[in-house]
Amino acid sequence: MSELFPRKQVMGFVFSLVLTAAALTVYFLDLSFMAAMTVLLATAFVQAGVQLVGFMHVGESEDRTMIYMNIFYGVAIALFTIFGTLLILVWDM
Amino acid sequence: MMKIDNSLPLEYANEQNKMNIFGFWIFIGAEVMLFATLFATYFTLEHRVGNGPAGAEIFELTPVLIETLVLLTSSFTIGLAMNAMRLGKKNAMLTFFSITLLLGLVFLGVEIYEFTHYASIGAGLQVSAFTGILLTTLGTHGAHVTVGLFWGLFIIMQVKKHGLTPKTANKSFIFSLYWHFLDIVWIFIFSFIYLKGMM
Repeated sequence: MSELFPRKQVMGFVFSLVLTAAALTVYFLDLSFMAAMTVLLATAFVQAGVQLVGFMHVGESEDRTMIYMNIFYGVAIALFTIFGTLLILVWDM
Repeated sequence: MMKIDNSLPLEYANEQNKMNIFGFWIFIGAEVMLFATLFATYFTLEHRVGNGPAGAEIFELTPVLIETLVLLTSSFTIGLAMNAMRLGKKNAMLTFFSITLLLGLVFLGVEIYEFTHYASIGAGLQVSAFTGILLTTLGTHGAHVTVGLFWGLFIIMQVKKHGLTPKTANKSFIFSLYWHFLDIVWIFIFSFIYLKGMM
């Protein structure tokens, strides 16, 4: 039975619940905008990392370098798009 | 029949399988871009509420929290399904797989409730730039979950019929990547649309 619930995945699940609870603090505590965004950015990206490494088995196969490069490229373009848009259209710089 | 490498998990057993998994990672990269453009548009338009409501007026914590916990748990159970698959335990794998899809169905039910609720309080798709991009972003994620439910159902049927073979194991593993990815997208929706909007 216990082999059906490997420790790594159970810990990953518990950790993801803890991260969700941590993110919720921005709702219940009266944080400044910058502090709240810092908390959310940290919890969201760590959460994504837990999913990728803990659950999606990144790094287990021999083509892991290509998979890492693909993820890195996708995330980099996503961040350029989002922060580039914010920079020009929202922050008005 | 392709060469089978028994030293590797079934889903990686032949060259075609490896290519399928890598190809799916490239697809996920494209999906990251799709959601990135939606988030960029959301951040641009979120305060353009016109005569309609703002996020803080319509978001409710309880349904959002249910959606989040349900999707997180389903991401865990599809991971357990993959673990059971690697152990060769077909029945345990199918049980975890079915639980995953049931949780996905609960998620979708809550989201449909949420959408009808928004429509009933005057926050429909055409009310403002904000409601338009909000429902487009949530709806794109919800459409992915809906597709996943049907896709997963067909995979369960194939595993039941053919057992755990390199082919069905490969399809199952690729589905698990898709499902985890949808959970990651939801984490960002939860953090930067709902929590940011309710602060």
